[in-house]
Amino acid sequence: MSEVSIQHTDVSVSQAAARAKAKALRVSNYKFAMWLYLASEVVIFGTLIAAYAVFRYNNPEVVHEVHKEAGVLLVAINTFLLLMSSWCMVMGLRDIQMGNRQGLIRWIAATAVLGTVFIALQAVEYSVLSAAGVLMTPGAEFHAFAAHFYPPTFFHGLHVFVGVLWAVIWVIIPAMRGSYGPGDYLGVEFFGLYWHFVDVVWIVLFTVIYLW
Amino acid sequence: MASVVSLPVGELRKSDGKPIMLRDVLGWSVDHKVIGVQYALIALFFFIIGGSLAMLIRWELLTPALDLMANGAAYNTLFSIHGTVMIFLWVIPMSAAFGNYVVPLQLGAKDMAFPWLNAFAFWLIPPAGVLMLMGWFVGPAEAGWTSYPPLSTMFSPDGQTLWAISIHLLGLSSILGAINFIVTIANMRPEGMGWFQMPLFCWAILATSIIIVMATPFLAGGLTLLILDRVAGTAFFNPAEGGDVLLWQNVFWFYSHPAVYIMVLPAFGILSDVLSVHARKPIFGYRMIALSSIAIAVVGFTVWAHHMFTALAPQFRIPFMITSMIIAVPTGIKVFSWLGTIWGGKIRWTSAMLFGLGFLSMFVIGGISGVMLGSVPFDLHVHDTYFVVSHLHFVLYGGSVFGLYAGIYHWYPKVTGRMLDERMGKWHFALTYIGFFFTFFPMHMAGLAGMPRRIAVYAPEFQTWNVVISIASFVLGVSTFVLLYNMVWALRNGKVAGPNPWRALTLEWATSSPPPATNFVGDPVPFKDPYGYGTKEAAAYVEAVEARYGTPDDVAQSSKPAPAETAGD
Repeated sequence: MSEVSIQHTDVSVSQAAARAKAKALRVSNYKFAMWLYLASEVVIFGTLIAAYAVFRYNNPEVVHEVHKEAGVLLVAINTFLLLMSSWCMVMGLRDIQMGNRQGLIRWIAATAVLGTVFIALQAVEYSVLSAAGVLMTPGAEFHAFAAHFYPPTFFHGLHVFVGVLWAVIWVIIPAMRGSYGPGDYLGVEFFGLYWHFVDVVWIVLFTVIYLW
Repeated sequence: MASVVSLPVGELRKSDGKPIMLRDVLGWSVDHKVIGVQYALIALFFFIIGGSLAMLIRWELLTPALDLMANGAAYNTLFSIHGTVMIFLWVIPMSAAFGNYVVPLQLGAKDMAFPWLNAFAFWLIPPAGVLMLMGWFVGPAEAGWTSYPPLSTMFSPDGQTLWAISIHLLGLSSILGAINFIVTIANMRPEGMGWFQMPLFCWAILATSIIIVMATPFLAGGLTLLILDRVAGTAFFNPAEGGDVLLWQNVFWFYSHPAVYIMVLPAFGILSDVLSVHARKPIFGYRMIALSSIAIAVVGFTVWAHHMFTALAPQFRIPFMITSMIIAVPTGIKVFSWLGTIWGGKIRWTSAMLFGLGFLSMFVIGGISGVMLGSVPFDLHVHDTYFVVSHLHFVLYGGSVFGLYAGIYHWYPKVTGRMLDERMGKWHFALTYIGFFFTFFPMHMAGLAGMPRRIAVYAPEFQTWNVVISIASFVLGVSTFVLLYNMVWALRNGKVAGPNPWRALTLEWATSSPPPATNFVGDPVPFKDPYGYGTKEAAAYVEAVEARYGTPDDVAQSSKPAPAETAGD
């Protein structure tokens, strides 16, 4: 029977250990799932980019004409802003790792604002292009280009939009209510992974669509 | 106590698991067991729908003239929806059913890594199924399950858009499910179960899930482009406006060739478990079977253009022919390992085993005709003939579906606590095996003689083969109802199974049938070798179990239920 009493004292220790283990398992499950999700996103963007690349390869002169018509300055500024937003994101994560929740809120808010500006400038760019004849309506001057240009960039813009919502709903508001701390920043990390991914995809899109 | 590696929990306790009732299945549940049953039921429902469409196809093809259907377009919808339903709403969900039910149990886990996500993934399927069938109200898809443009963009009615949205939902469902499986298998194995102590079914589901995560998004991308082409005026697949028809074929097959392995790898996994258990022999070449699944997953991504030999630039044909031949190697490794497994085994002629052996024999025929089709000169001649239809059904029906049948007979006792009737099972097997062979084997001949696929009106000289095929296919159709009747009948009248009717060593049998809500009482301890039939530990375990319940044949044949728990703990 002495074994039972020894076990009894052990139980509380092992229960705490089991809880810690269960938590570690949950964290590692979520991280792994997040990476797998991003992998599948890479593939779906890959398809859209490939579709554009096929068009670019078959119709170099159309693409040159659109490039000449539209210029690259606005998009270059936009790209710079998106890169800056990734930097803000990292600074926010760094702040919460050091226990500074106010810093986290400020930096992630800056990320969300930059993301919003990106979407706004993309809308401006769309209207400039529409005026130049890059329209989805059949018969427009650059209809074929439009059909290959708008879907991938719009799909990316949608991801930025989701990212902004994500930042507000799952990072900023919970942080204002007192969530997250130096040992508890998994949610921020996930948002970071997603945001960096959206950023990296844009760099590829920018290169393939605007510079090629 | 190093020698006591197994704790057959279920053998020591009364069954405290409640059977899954209809009301559990109709509602939202995050229990992987309920979700597994939900997948199975919806898959069986669509199996009947897809099968009925096949029966209509065969009815139409009894005569060379157009007599049953109003016109060719109506016939086109039959095979289009038949193919799509069978693939996306029967084989894949049914595999997911086994994955959901069995994988956490085989890992000794309480549930999947993300139970809520699991339920969400399932509930994407019913709306997708509804969308697919709703096509008939607006004119269903007519472009075949492959939906090549311009058929699918310019000539198919609105049902094609619903078709594409439906597949989109199903794809999302599989991606979410696959992420769940990968995380569960990688992170939630119990202590003492390394990668290479994992049951082979889990390996198969792992390989399948890797393919799903990496390939299904391609389909999602392609479908997005297709929907845009249909509703938003884009021209991704229209060469007149800078698009490319081959883009769809490349994207589609870059998904759909790996998807062939999505459909068959789970059946491979079922087969490994079933053959080893029912032949009472350790699996032959465990590591080779496990790693060949992964090899198939990887090489599967390099062979897609063999579906396009007739459309492909000639210089690409030989490379794709070579990769297509290479992928037969890991599959061959599996086949020889399975033969090695049953060789000299103490084979029990259960229905599960019969379907396992049926799989082996029929799948090999499909594999060989696959290698034939993989060689360019042969393919150019039989492309788009019934030879291709025959090959596809030999691997997908003779392979995947026979495997799923074996899985049903093998795991039904675990799910319901009752045995399926063996006599009906044998009738089912006999009718299916004969009906299957005489449905699909003559298609080889019709194809070699030049009969094209996807046509309702054919040259009169093909009629003899078509009559044989149609009559056999009606036998095949009827055989399915033997299984369905058996499954319903056994719910009430089947013999009580007990925790481990097959005396198997994997962990799903180390709990009661059906398992309790938390799957196990305490943490189950896995055997070092999940297929170690004949090892000292396994022999001791089986001896202890048989001393208590009698041999499995007694359990299967005696009408009285297995003795209830008496001595207590």
